[in-house]
Amino acid sequence: MRALKQSFCIVLMTFGLFQVAYAILPIEQLDTFKGAKVYLVQTKTLPMVDIEISIDAGDRYDPVGKSGLASMTAELMNYGARTERGVLTEAQIADEIADLGANLGISVGGERAIIRIRSLSRKDLRDRAVRLTSAMLSSPTYDAKILEREKQRSITELLEADTKPESVLERRFRKSVYGDYPLGESPTVKSVGSVGVSDLSKFHQQFYRGNRMIVSIVGDVNRAEADEIVHTLLKGVPQSGAAIAPLPQLQRSPVEPLAEREIEIPFDSQQAHIAMGMTAVTRSNPDYYPLMVGNYILGGGGFVARLMSEVREKRGLAYSVFSYFAPGKDTGIFQAGLQTKSDQAALALDVMSSTMSNFIANGATPSELQAAKANLINGFPLRIDNNRKLLDNVSSIAWNDLPLDTLDTWTAKVDAVTLEQVTAAFQKYLAMDRMKIVVLGAVK
Amino acid sequence: MAILQMRSTLLQFSFLSLMCCHFAWAAPANPSDTHEYQFSNGLKLIIQEDHRAPTVANMVWYRAGSMDEVNGKTGLAHVLEHMMFKGTDKVKAGEFSRLVAAVGGRENAFTTRDYTAYFQQVEKSKLEEVIKLEADRMSNLNFDDAEFLKEIQVVMEERRLRTEDNPDNLLSEALMATAYMSSPYRHPVVGWMNDLVNMKANDARDWYRSWYAPNNATVVISGDVEPEKTRALVEKYFGGIAAHELPVRKPQVEPVQKGIKQVQVKAPADSAQLAMAWKVPHLQPEDLDNVEPYALELLSAVLDGYDNARLNRVMVKQERVANDVGVSYDMISRGPELFTIGVSLAKGKTVAQAEASIRKVLNEIAQKGVLESELKRIKVRLLSNQIYKRDSIFGQAMEIGSNEMAGFSWRDIDPMLEKMQTITPEQVQVVAGKYLVDEGLTIAVLDPQARKSAAKDGK
Repeated sequence: MRALKQSFCIVLMTFGLFQVAYAILPIEQLDTFKGAKVYLVQTKTLPMVDIEISIDAGDRYDPVGKSGLASMTAELMNYGARTERGVLTEAQIADEIADLGANLGISVGGERAIIRIRSLSRKDLRDRAVRLTSAMLSSPTYDAKILEREKQRSITELLEADTKPESVLERRFRKSVYGDYPLGESPTVKSVGSVGVSDLSKFHQQFYRGNRMIVSIVGDVNRAEADEIVHTLLKGVPQSGAAIAPLPQLQRSPVEPLAEREIEIPFDSQQAHIAMGMTAVTRSNPDYYPLMVGNYILGGGGFVARLMSEVREKRGLAYSVFSYFAPGKDTGIFQAGLQTKSDQAALALDVMSSTMSNFIANGATPSELQAAKANLINGFPLRIDNNRKLLDNVSSIAWNDLPLDTLDTWTAKVDAVTLEQVTAAFQKYLAMDRMKIVVLGAVK
Repeated sequence: MAILQMRSTLLQFSFLSLMCCHFAWAAPANPSDTHEYQFSNGLKLIIQEDHRAPTVANMVWYRAGSMDEVNGKTGLAHVLEHMMFKGTDKVKAGEFSRLVAAVGGRENAFTTRDYTAYFQQVEKSKLEEVIKLEADRMSNLNFDDAEFLKEIQVVMEERRLRTEDNPDNLLSEALMATAYMSSPYRHPVVGWMNDLVNMKANDARDWYRSWYAPNNATVVISGDVEPEKTRALVEKYFGGIAAHELPVRKPQVEPVQKGIKQVQVKAPADSAQLAMAWKVPHLQPEDLDNVEPYALELLSAVLDGYDNARLNRVMVKQERVANDVGVSYDMISRGPELFTIGVSLAKGKTVAQAEASIRKVLNEIAQKGVLESELKRIKVRLLSNQIYKRDSIFGQAMEIGSNEMAGFSWRDIDPMLEKMQTITPEQVQVVAGKYLVDEGLTIAVLDPQARKSAAKDGK
């Protein structure tokens, strides 16, 4: 079960995409239903449709002591649901999805839970897929026996994760960066063990309502058909509910002496794993573009990025080294990392730190900026060349409250970024004396 | 994705992503959208037209994978893949990636037991630039010893990351090395660490001179292209490269196994794992009508093809002996094939219990067969996946290339799917009884060890 992995995958998937040069399929905003916003991109060439429901019910809403609840609430939806014609068991739901030739995916990130269904667009098949999703979304049964089973599986996975260098590192790094903000807590054997059926039902009732949902549709359906899909999908979902307590503010990573920011975890693996990062920005921040372009130069641009060049190409210290911003609707984080042979940890950390520090202090060169823009602008069509990627984009635009013409203006915004803006943005949001550092498995 | 797994070692295809076909209730692709050309220097070009978006995938496939390596030089195919980015006579080290990046391209490469492949995805007007670069490094690779010495360190880090510190891969490495006695499939694609430590720049150069030739390569281009213009571009850049004789490939046929083999791996982990792998046939290009490989594909889906498939239902949901279970079988491969069931154990359950549970599920199929409804469900999924697959031009190029490397033609892809639809429950029952038997079985067990310092946070 993927339920308990609090991961940035969703954010990364939809991070930094879009722009123009070709006729871009329009994003249509349809009528709101049950308080849910609805977006459609019509693509007619393949007889298929992708439907996504984003629910403002991510891991950060986990109650104190119940880390893992938000994920379990979503992941257990397809293990039993009530319909007008009685209860569908988990076996019946799985068989129906298979019989339809449909794919169902459920994932939960820090901010939102996401359900995706891919179906052939033929009306009878599509209707059955939508009705099934509707039942899961509005009336999951949360059977006690199934919950016990899935809790056991989660706990087994948590214990396994404690033996994996990357998992231990990530968990400790999140705690460092997020501090007291709810995303600082990761699920534990105890927190998962304490989740009961009533917790799931209560969480579902509180958060799974129309005014916390966004529906995005990409594929071979017209507006009327999309409206029909949404009405069926959200039929059993309440429009609104009791007020939900606001989340605390994520505090900016403070300036601290190194000893306060750096954590060493002993671990007898062959490689040391290193993570470094701090709080950063929202996706809707106007400085997003200079940060995205700058990060391409620093650590996002594959083999041509500075971190890759310094750590891997020049010194052979690591196979993978990277940096990224993971902006969300609310403030996200910046993170950089690598893995290297245990006795090279200090050297690799040095190279990574000095590369980052140099970039924040001095920014990029004109030729680096030009190369970054060339890649991002020339490569823009690759960001929107199939239904899956279009859905990722629509979903990101909708969730992050970005303008509907975001894709149309993307290349122009990238092109407008200046060296001064990159330097100013990096200096405004990042600082070496604020970076949290976790080093696992280093041998001195 | 921000986390790069580039120039990656391992690539596994699921059957679903391999098949291609068209059926009554979906819009058919037009077979005339695929074009094949053979150049006089032996290079094959396959173009798959898809005009949905103004992008192109350009792939060059070399029929040289880890199965072509010899003792003491395991990992060489993959190391050369890394070195292919380290300069030619005209393009200096690192420049290849910079030039691809400049045209907005995404690039990567991967090595398997069967082949090594390189690709770029670009906006269509940039296709010529990447064709030119690939043609250049097919015959003009020229790297320094110093570049090799750095890159071999990178490859060793890759092995540490993916294998040495990863119990799943340690187990599968041990399984392959135990199941096969003489077949080169027994060696890991990334290579044994000691072979990497002792590898020299000249080993990589020898590999390149041996296998990188137009008569050992297939170019696959999919996307928004005009076939004739594209053919002319490929001819312009690749046409002048001379063919040369390839090393003799010894068959190295694996002797018939005569009884159960077992191997145990002790590694830091919390859960025990069990893998059971049987020697089974795969499809031969000259015998596309052999029902057994198709029946084995369907058997793997009956066991593990959807959430309520037999193994998951019985072992994870009903008996709760497993935390996770998975099946792998691929009828398309150059070398011998295993039908593998892998299980991560549930807390408090023993390996013996898990093995008994697997055997019970398999016996039931061998004795009573599978349901018509089960098979129909799987066939429907195979068909709908043919539509979904077409959402990705890159996926289509992958499908064509991997089939070609295994000795099949892209023209075989549709007939193979049609054949799959004709397989009966009885045929599935027969292969379960015939092949999933102890004579050809290898069992690998992961015995989890406490990690000395695990989960004890420092300050």
